[in-house]
Amino acid sequence: MASSYTPEVSGSGFRARVQKLGGYLAGMVMPNIGAIIAWGLITALFIPVGWLPNESLAELVGPMITYLLPILIGYTGGRMVHGQRGAVVGATATMGVIVGADVPMFLGAMIIAPLTAYVLKLFDNAIEGKIRPGFEMLVDNFSAGIVGAGFAILGKLGIGPVVNTLTNAAGDGVDWLLDHSLMPLVSILVEPAKVLFLNNAINHGVFSPLGVQQVAESGKSILFMIESNPGPGLGLLLAYFFFGPKSLRPTTPAAMIIHFFGGIHEIYFPYVLMKPRLILAMMAGGMAGVATFMITGAGTVASPAPGSIFAFFAVTAKGSHVGMILGVIIAAAVTFGVASLLLGFGKLKSDQEPDETPDETADDPESSRKENA
Amino acid sequence: MATINGKDIRKLVVACDAGMGSSVMLASTLRKQLGKSGVAVEHTPVNSIPADADVVVCHSGLAARARLVAPDKPIVPFQIFLGDPAVNRVVKAIQQGTDLNV
Repeated sequence: MASSYTPEVSGSGFRARVQKLGGYLAGMVMPNIGAIIAWGLITALFIPVGWLPNESLAELVGPMITYLLPILIGYTGGRMVHGQRGAVVGATATMGVIVGADVPMFLGAMIIAPLTAYVLKLFDNAIEGKIRPGFEMLVDNFSAGIVGAGFAILGKLGIGPVVNTLTNAAGDGVDWLLDHSLMPLVSILVEPAKVLFLNNAINHGVFSPLGVQQVAESGKSILFMIESNPGPGLGLLLAYFFFGPKSLRPTTPAAMIIHFFGGIHEIYFPYVLMKPRLILAMMAGGMAGVATFMITGAGTVASPAPGSIFAFFAVTAKGSHVGMILGVIIAAAVTFGVASLLLGFGKLKSDQEPDETPDETADDPESSRKENA
Repeated sequence: MATINGKDIRKLVVACDAGMGSSVMLASTLRKQLGKSGVAVEHTPVNSIPADADVVVCHSGLAARARLVAPDKPIVPFQIFLGDPAVNRVVKAIQQGTDLNV
């Protein structure tokens, strides 16, 4: 695959594959975040413990989480594999896992929809060019119908119950972490994965499906807040602003605005990747934030996506705002403190320039490979 | 190492993981900078880089994936999202019609 344009990539094949799988999972959820937020807002407003309890409007909550959101995810997952036809059979098959389970079938939709679309794609490829003229529509419609029906049945009888068990087990795992106050340790895994651009995969591929289940049960979830807390990134950028390499300091105020208010966390990843030891500061801040959320019992009703402080205010559950604000501030303060220490408060001479200056890296493929490895 | 001339770039694609966040931000910045040149600037997920892209810009952390998806495209990896020299060189090459080494 190496051509004159693209020097062979070394050492990053595994990371690229993990990113790709994660990107696939996140790609099914992310286009539908708008619908998830709509559901979260309706839940926050109208359930009995919400802001404006309303029995009639609260009837929206159940069908939206049970049917609308998994079917949207299944539709999107099918479309990623095989376009519009894949989307249609993906949504159809998703209906099978929904009916075959008694928990919200995000995970089931993410498995069965791409699988169904893939089977249809195989069929379409196999018969391509072999259909008599005039029979294309008949074959197209009935192949999709038969595949869709078959996988809906399979979903109901086979996949739904299995994923039901898996989803419950994952939910029990989360409860266990919460019961034993171990939730903050999750940040040790999340923060490094995040800056390796697995942020969406973790947040939308793992935490969102588990989080919605918690919201459906108890009206809020801490899981949405683990990856998306803008506190640690803000703390890091502040540390760079005061103590970072002088050449980078002027870029940080704009980065802070984009990160903290715009919610584009990617903007701070390079500042960590430049000085990998700063990942310790991210872990410390992330853990402090999660611990604060856990102690105060804070939760959100949907994924604050993008992870902007505005999105946090919008989806934080009633009664959780103080805990949310504390968690963000404490995470920022802890990250700032640890990162400042690791940056030697700007006094380390060797640190006045980035370990790899952006200019060199861009000019020299060797150093960008190092970066990738 | 290969060279592409700025004048040959008709479509520049900014790729990020989901094609919804950081790529949109960088694409809107580049669109402003390249407004007069008539170059189309698009943002996409790194898994679905379009076939008609002339040059692909993405963060170096995603460059390996971009190369898997679009092995025959010139890919410009960058480090920081604001004012990265690698991105500035692409803009300059397009504006002045000069050669760009990728």
